[in-house]
Amino acid sequence: MAGAFGPPPFPFCRKLPLMTVLLLLSVILVIAGAGFFLGRGRALSRVSGNVRALHSLPGYYGWHAAIMTAMPALGILLVWLIAQPIVLERQVLPYLPADIVADSTERTLAMADVRRVAAGLDMAVSTGAMTEDEAGMIRTELTDVRSRLASVGVALGSDVKRETLQAAQAYRKSFGAAVLWRGIVVLAVALAGLALALRLTEPDFRARNRGEAVMLGVLITASSIAILTTVGIIWSMLSESLNFFSQYPASEFFFGLTWSPNFRGGSDLGFIPLLWGTMYISLVAMIVAVPLGLFTAIYLAEYASPRARAWIKPVIEIIAGIPTVVFGLFALVTVGPFLRDWFAEPFGFGNSGSSVMTAGLVIGILNIPFISSLADDIINSVPQSLRDGSYGLGATKSETVRQVILPAALPGIVGAVLLAASRAIGETMIVTMGAGAAAKLSLNPFDAMTTMTVKIVGQLTGDTDFNSPETLVAFALGITLFVITLGLNVFALWIVRKYREQYE
Amino acid sequence: MEDQKTMKDIHLEERVVSDHAPRITARGVNVHYGENHALKDVDVDILSGTVTAFIGPSGCGKSTFLRCLNRMNDTVANARVTGQILLDGEDIYDKRVDPVQLRAKVGMVFQKPNPFPKSIYDNVAYGPKIHGLTRNKAELDGIVESCLRKAALWNEVKDRLTAPGTGLSGGQQQRLCIARAIATSPEVLLMDEPCSALDPIATAQVEELIDELRASFSVVIVTHSMQQAARVSQKTAFFHLGHLVEYGETGQIFTNPRDPRTESYITGRIG
Repeated sequence: MAGAFGPPPFPFCRKLPLMTVLLLLSVILVIAGAGFFLGRGRALSRVSGNVRALHSLPGYYGWHAAIMTAMPALGILLVWLIAQPIVLERQVLPYLPADIVADSTERTLAMADVRRVAAGLDMAVSTGAMTEDEAGMIRTELTDVRSRLASVGVALGSDVKRETLQAAQAYRKSFGAAVLWRGIVVLAVALAGLALALRLTEPDFRARNRGEAVMLGVLITASSIAILTTVGIIWSMLSESLNFFSQYPASEFFFGLTWSPNFRGGSDLGFIPLLWGTMYISLVAMIVAVPLGLFTAIYLAEYASPRARAWIKPVIEIIAGIPTVVFGLFALVTVGPFLRDWFAEPFGFGNSGSSVMTAGLVIGILNIPFISSLADDIINSVPQSLRDGSYGLGATKSETVRQVILPAALPGIVGAVLLAASRAIGETMIVTMGAGAAAKLSLNPFDAMTTMTVKIVGQLTGDTDFNSPETLVAFALGITLFVITLGLNVFALWIVRKYREQYE
Repeated sequence: MEDQKTMKDIHLEERVVSDHAPRITARGVNVHYGENHALKDVDVDILSGTVTAFIGPSGCGKSTFLRCLNRMNDTVANARVTGQILLDGEDIYDKRVDPVQLRAKVGMVFQKPNPFPKSIYDNVAYGPKIHGLTRNKAELDGIVESCLRKAALWNEVKDRLTAPGTGLSGGQQQRLCIARAIATSPEVLLMDEPCSALDPIATAQVEELIDELRASFSVVIVTHSMQQAARVSQKTAFFHLGHLVEYGETGQIFTNPRDPRTESYITGRIG
């Protein structure tokens, strides 16, 4: 069904009135704009200019009319745009052979062909190579459609079959009708909305409260889109993961100690080595990032003069703006060789430039501004009265920081650290370039290892059958990773909520 | 009954403290916050064993002066203090004086109860711990108990010393802060409107406590309530627009003020 929403309908409908969605949108907006002035004018005229007699300010009546015009029309348009390809497909399918229709993959391919031929005919008509009548009447028995279309610049992969051409012609016809009716219906709804709004515009009509209600709807929609996206992500990951687990035993995936995908089949896809690599690298990253980030935050929040703070904070935050792939380059060409030449080789830890240490260090640096700016905000939100209380007892600055401010800020800091940890776990680019691609269970931090994210990319971008366990394992890895980071985030939020001090 | 005495609005017995020795001597104290001249040429003697009240309308400089006495103004970036303040004959603004040491000797209780987000025990033990006043846990336990008793809080919290101090009621929190302040055994206790966030019952408890504390410390209290000043203090200083207008026996200030501005304020005409 992926192709059902198909190529955008704009190119086909140049010749029809009220056609493109864009044009339709602009017409709706123009009517809505007119509605604004009409609504406002009507409200004012109902009270002969005495604004105080109106329930709401005149502008609210204008907005009410504009919204009543645009919202239902846009809603209908959206539903139409979603439904149209599905309905059209249903109308065209009878032209295609039954055995093709029965198989979902073949059906999708056939429909793509139909649409391509229809687009070719449109193109031919619009360039004048064919008349509208010709396009509707040509027959494969009489014309070589492929070469005819090729002459106007539409390349088709194979000869056009009779039923495909017929389907395409039916498709064009239905499409034209659909576009025409779409325009008529949508505009009728817009005008009806406007008329209704104007009829409602009376002095005691609560246009202001209506506006509030619409605003509330907008806010709810915005937040539900994010939620629905998450649900969609989970759903798609889950369905492919289930597919994977139907081909590969879950116990071997979750407890297998070897990761050696073999594209000829018979792979070992144990995820423990990847989990180990992920956790090891994240651990190194957090060992780097937590103290540095925290100390930075303490310095900025408690010690730095306003002038020092004014330039140190932005400079640190520049790090957060560096793309991770650039950090990856840094890991690859600078940190990796440096660690290899100065630590790994002299101390006999191996001779790999890519290592857990390299990737961990660089991810740690990447996470410093994240931790420092979150912790800085948290420390700043500790009330001044606590500092005063501590100084008033004769505590020094560092005693106050250690014994009063950090304990007070601790829940927030723990939350920040856990968020940073889930970022480190999800990091891909730096690991790809800094840690290597060898899945290994080793304690040596100068060994090359790899993580779940790297393997997700690796398995999906390979040139293999999509339906093999070697590819599908990426989804299983993805959902496992998602569960791990989700768990960390939930835990972080729980800690923050549970231990947050309620200061006024 | 004891209640009889505390229920009286103004009690003027035991006012005579003029034979007490001065603990803090301030001469010609000026404070600037940036361009703003907040305190002008203030001379005050704080006597030992005495409760001294600072009264005056908002913004008159009384809290500013209070914060000079333990150098809390040092933590305000653009504050500048000139003049001389002697604690037991020693200039507290001398370069050799460590403000941190000074604040252990001059404790402070703030307007809003500000218990640390720690247990009740740790709140009180905070000062003794950072100043190393005890040699072992038993001694520390002793200090915590005696301070909580002095602050009239022991009976209410003795069974939940490990509970967080922030979980107490407002009045209990303020008494906890007082216990915390006296745990470092200061010589002078500064209180900046300690009852302004409390209900009348908690206020009465804290006032009673202040009267008892007088036996061991000099207490300086800033207050907006003239009834409170009259109830708890022996000496009263009236501040107005950064000037110390009048300073004397509390009874005399409230019954027979010498300066017309003092009289206007205590009779409610300015403020």
